[in-house]
Amino acid sequence: MNYMPGTASLIEDIDKKHLVLLRDGRTLIGYLRSIDQFANLVLHQTVERIHVGKKYGDIPRGIFVVRGENVVLLGEIDLEKESDTPLQQVSIEEILEEQRVEQQTKQEAEKLKVQALKERGLSVPRVDTLDEY
Amino acid sequence: MEQGPGEPCGHQIPEKASRIHEEEDAKEEGEEEEEEKEENELGDPAVLSAIHGAQRGDKGSPRLKAPSGLGMSPVSLHFLCQTMDYLSPISFRSTYPSASSPARHFGPQLPSPDPSLFYSPPASWPPRFSLPSHQTQLHPQHQRILQKQRQEQQSSHKHQSPRVGKLWSQKPDPYAGLMNQREKDWVIKVQMVQLQSENPELDDYYYQEYYQKLERKQADEELFGRRGRLESPKLVTPYIQKTEDYESVVRIEGSLGQVAVSTCFGPRRAIDAVSHGSQEQDSAIYNQKLQVLYRIEKMFLQLLKLEENQKGMLAKSYFYELQRKQLEKIYQELRTGDQDNSEEAANGFLQVLSVRKGKVLVARLLLLLPRDQAVHLVLSITSHLPFLIRRDTADQALHMLFKPMGKCINLLAFSELLQGLQGLMVLQPGSQERPITVVLQNQFGISLLYTLLSHGEQLVSLNCSLTQHSSSDLAAWTDMVVLIAWEISHMSTASLAEPLVVPSNLPSLFCRYVDKQIVQQLEARMDYAPVATDLTYLGKLSCPPTYQSVRAEVEEGKIH
Repeated sequence: MNYMPGTASLIEDIDKKHLVLLRDGRTLIGYLRSIDQFANLVLHQTVERIHVGKKYGDIPRGIFVVRGENVVLLGEIDLEKESDTPLQQVSIEEILEEQRVEQQTKQEAEKLKVQALKERGLSVPRVDTLDEY
Repeated sequence: MEQGPGEPCGHQIPEKASRIHEEEDAKEEGEEEEEEKEENELGDPAVLSAIHGAQRGDKGSPRLKAPSGLGMSPVSLHFLCQTMDYLSPISFRSTYPSASSPARHFGPQLPSPDPSLFYSPPASWPPRFSLPSHQTQLHPQHQRILQKQRQEQQSSHKHQSPRVGKLWSQKPDPYAGLMNQREKDWVIKVQMVQLQSENPELDDYYYQEYYQKLERKQADEELFGRRGRLESPKLVTPYIQKTEDYESVVRIEGSLGQVAVSTCFGPRRAIDAVSHGSQEQDSAIYNQKLQVLYRIEKMFLQLLKLEENQKGMLAKSYFYELQRKQLEKIYQELRTGDQDNSEEAANGFLQVLSVRKGKVLVARLLLLLPRDQAVHLVLSITSHLPFLIRRDTADQALHMLFKPMGKCINLLAFSELLQGLQGLMVLQPGSQERPITVVLQNQFGISLLYTLLSHGEQLVSLNCSLTQHSSSDLAAWTDMVVLIAWEISHMSTASLAEPLVVPSNLPSLFCRYVDKQIVQQLEARMDYAPVATDLTYLGKLSCPPTYQSVRAEVEEGKIH
């Protein structure tokens, strides 16, 4: 707001740690180094965080350049409060395994649902016409 | 000068070098710090200076002068990737042992950094020594906490290295300031260009309103004695004379409607609610409804333009003429047709009023119209009240007409007032009840009625000499009052609507013309709520004994 009162701008967010949620559902955490007028982001020391239930795992990714239109939201991380979380950090392998299990159960539930709907003569909208989360 | 926000980052490089080596041993182990460690070891001043050199590079090399589409020097980004590739500490350490050669840099295409640039203070940047820029927008409590922390740290440390990117309690960020001030300014400039407009009052209405409200509040605060008024900053966008004129709506022959053309001003152009189809005289009801809506839209646009002009030019006489003409245009568009008294009167005005937006239009227009035209509209409304009430059951929006109508009613002449009231009492063909029963059961109706009565009372009592009003007028007036009082008293309290406002001179009015029994019943029904501010209060008159005597006195021309 320094530069342009009454507007929102990412200029003040530069060099701060951010959590970025992408449209494909990924969560990235990194230092916002650079932006442009389309809100394309350059994230530094980025970590992809996967959440499954109460656990999470971090995969270090390095530098990300994110196209602005793919960002759902982003917010600054308070470095003091960052460690103050009820979530439990686990290793990458464990979290990937958890994720796989979660996906599997979801798919099975979905299959049952589709089956039930089919029996009743209803159809499910095609996935590629919807935004996935 | 391209500097990191707030502090000359030139200073930090040699200091950082020494700090890094100091802190290497004293570092806490954390995942991030692990990475940081690696980078810091290889991130000796050579790397750091090179990174900063890359930013300076766009000054030196003509190729990089104009910022790229991304707004960032491609070399610096490219270089950043390169440094990450060299992240293996072991191999790197051996090759670059010395830590004090700021001039040494690696990587291709990098001109040597200009030392003068490192140490010159930023010319354009106003030094903010109280708080770094990125912290001024925090919550005040947060700011205080950080300031306290900072003060504590300042007492312990001799020299404060600039904290760009992390909190005071953490070590400096070597990668901070990758986006230099010039690049930030460039992004801001691009964003400002997008905000340019010919008419900020229209394009940026909400911000302008908000800012005016804020200014008013601050002015009030100052008036109340609170010194030290803070000037809140305003976004000032460059005012441009004329935007590029472009065809916003494209008509393709044979297409069903409009084609939205996307431009840089409006990537997703909204299609206006106008019908360009052939004007067939189709008597289908649907088409008729559309016609009414279309008329409303057209008039509304005219009204908006008018209001905008009014707000803009307050005292320019030559615009007055223009305004008057525009008003006339709208009025003609709206004009009531023949005085058709049938319930299903299909004249344009009532149709417009049947739509919610039409009510809004008329309400706003009434405030602008000259007296005669406004009175004309008001009278048409009062004479068709039951119809309007019936058509309003869905919207419940008649009340928005109340205030502007109230203002107009206060301008009514006595004869016009009587005309309005009489419209309410005439028995409509084809219905058993008088319109007044419907009116009394509706909130808007009853409020309007009370306002009319109050104004009548005002007119009658204000005029000392009776010659102002003809005796027949006065007789009609008294009859009206009596009739209305009778109607009110004979309606059950349950079915009477709650009026929006009860004028204070009504009780005295009824007292004068009506006998005690009815007055009592009226009192039971009308709760004498606090009076509206725009109705002047007249002194309450004493209640004369009977209606008959008053009537006689009126006829004799003696009263008042």
